[in-house]
Amino acid sequence: MIQTATFGLGTLYRRRLAVSTRTASGMIGQVVPPLLWVLVLAPALDTALGSFNPQVDYYTYVALAQVAFLIPFTSMFSGINVIVDKDFGVLRELLVAPVFRAAIPLANALGVMTVALVQVAILVGFGILRGAEFDTSPAGVAWFLAACSLLSLSTYGIAETLALLIGRQEAYGPMIPAVGVTPWFLAGSLFPITLLPAGIEQVSLFLPWTHALALMRYGMMQDIDPGLADIWGMDSNGTMALLSLLALVAYAALTLFIAIRVFYRKSTS
Amino acid sequence: MTTPVIWVDGLRKAYTGGLEALKGISFEVAPGEVFGLLGPNGAGKTTTVGVLTTTVRPTAGKIEVAGHDVVREPLAVRRETGVVFQDSVLDNDFSGLENLQLHARLWRVPKNEARERTASLLEIMDLTTRAADSVRTYSGGMRRRLEIARALLAAPRVLFLDEPTVGLDPAVRGSIWNVIRQLRDREQVTIVLTTHYLEEAEAVCDRVAIVNEGQIIALDKPRALLEAFGSEVLELQVDGDPRNAVTALLSLEARDPQVIGGTVTVPLQNGSQDTGAIIEAVRGAGVSLAAVAVRRSTLNDVFMRLTGTRLNGNSLN
Repeated sequence: MIQTATFGLGTLYRRRLAVSTRTASGMIGQVVPPLLWVLVLAPALDTALGSFNPQVDYYTYVALAQVAFLIPFTSMFSGINVIVDKDFGVLRELLVAPVFRAAIPLANALGVMTVALVQVAILVGFGILRGAEFDTSPAGVAWFLAACSLLSLSTYGIAETLALLIGRQEAYGPMIPAVGVTPWFLAGSLFPITLLPAGIEQVSLFLPWTHALALMRYGMMQDIDPGLADIWGMDSNGTMALLSLLALVAYAALTLFIAIRVFYRKSTS
Repeated sequence: MTTPVIWVDGLRKAYTGGLEALKGISFEVAPGEVFGLLGPNGAGKTTTVGVLTTTVRPTAGKIEVAGHDVVREPLAVRRETGVVFQDSVLDNDFSGLENLQLHARLWRVPKNEARERTASLLEIMDLTTRAADSVRTYSGGMRRRLEIARALLAAPRVLFLDEPTVGLDPAVRGSIWNVIRQLRDREQVTIVLTTHYLEEAEAVCDRVAIVNEGQIIALDKPRALLEAFGSEVLELQVDGDPRNAVTALLSLEARDPQVIGGTVTVPLQNGSQDTGAIIEAVRGAGVSLAAVAVRRSTLNDVFMRLTGTRLNGNSLN
């Protein structure tokens, strides 16, 4: 039964990857702004402003924030492919293929996640070359990758849903920065969320960006407050990391579930 | 009797908002048959194909394709069918060969078989030398031939062709018709074809269902439909009011005279021997004739008689 349900997922996943890699300009274009931050702006900010906390390596802090910038941006950007597939591409062919329809958005989500992880690897690599000090212990990397993957799936679910509901490239385009980037400013990217105005801080607690970023810092920056206590208000970082991980799993499950439901509704009249 | 490969009984489809696209149509398609759904745009042809290919949910009715219920067993239906859509539906980021390979993997065609069938179908469709090229560089006819090859790759029991030649020039249209005829003979596949081209229905279909406003108004072999109508048509181009000619024709008990602009058409039941009497009666009623012609009747004449409109949508007077 599971084999039947997942049949076609691999083929569709490889297709999505192939489509993404054939539009290299898009992949590169998405990496350039965060790379500019990692290579130029973050060191400059570190030098000019120092840090909100002398114990925090602000350059590494901001470099990780760029990972949380890049992933949702890539997800939102990939929503365009959903519209292109619908309007000019092969979606109708896929809809008459003997695969479960849910496999189509799920394969898209996994393909986009893979692309995002490759982009993150490039970003982290350049960050290390520029002097960022990441904790690369297996456990730390595992937390980091889990956060990246779940943030990608969560935000891709949003992107696919919006692309299906909006349906037109010209109307979807403005949503890329609005939805893909705006929450990043509220997620503790450049400073802890406790420094946000009252009210907005509460909003930030419900953003997957906030949880993902705190988890990334928990995994990749040793001996600092990763921001988990600002979210959960507990003492144990391990417990709070687990809670944020579960929150991200819930976000990913919810947004992908909604995306699949919308896909079903839109693809079968 | 042979078990039908497609069985449709009382199919209804009402879209949100109340539009009733299909109003209870029923038909069967025998294995190996080329079955045409002929009708104007908006008649319900594409909706019918949508239901049969599981992309449109029926509101009511019992529909089976290759022995599988389209609602309860959509995956089984999709495994047994291939579809060529009205609009070109190719993966534009890939070559022709890559489009075929994607289809083969999705339809679980074993690798060796996929390789052999791909080569064979590319050869039949005259695309072998262009297989490695991006489909963005293909002409409309090449894209359509590739789509037909793709739909046949998994050796489906039923092939759906939704307006397969729309937008193609006459020469390419003729070549697609040849391909369809070859497929029927070579692949033993059942073909359901929608079209609003009369000549296409006559040229390639074993049976034709004429669809109008969500209903099947006639269903038979093209020749039988034409013979029931009259194998020839007399066209009278009238100077003055054509209604006078119609009055004269009705007094002759001529069957179903129709008026299009200044031309009156009359089906000829007994061949050309009716012609003289009809012309004489019209002239005897004081109607002046600018031109007279006898031509073979077409499915358009049948459609006009049944609906009062031409297939291109012009109403009759």
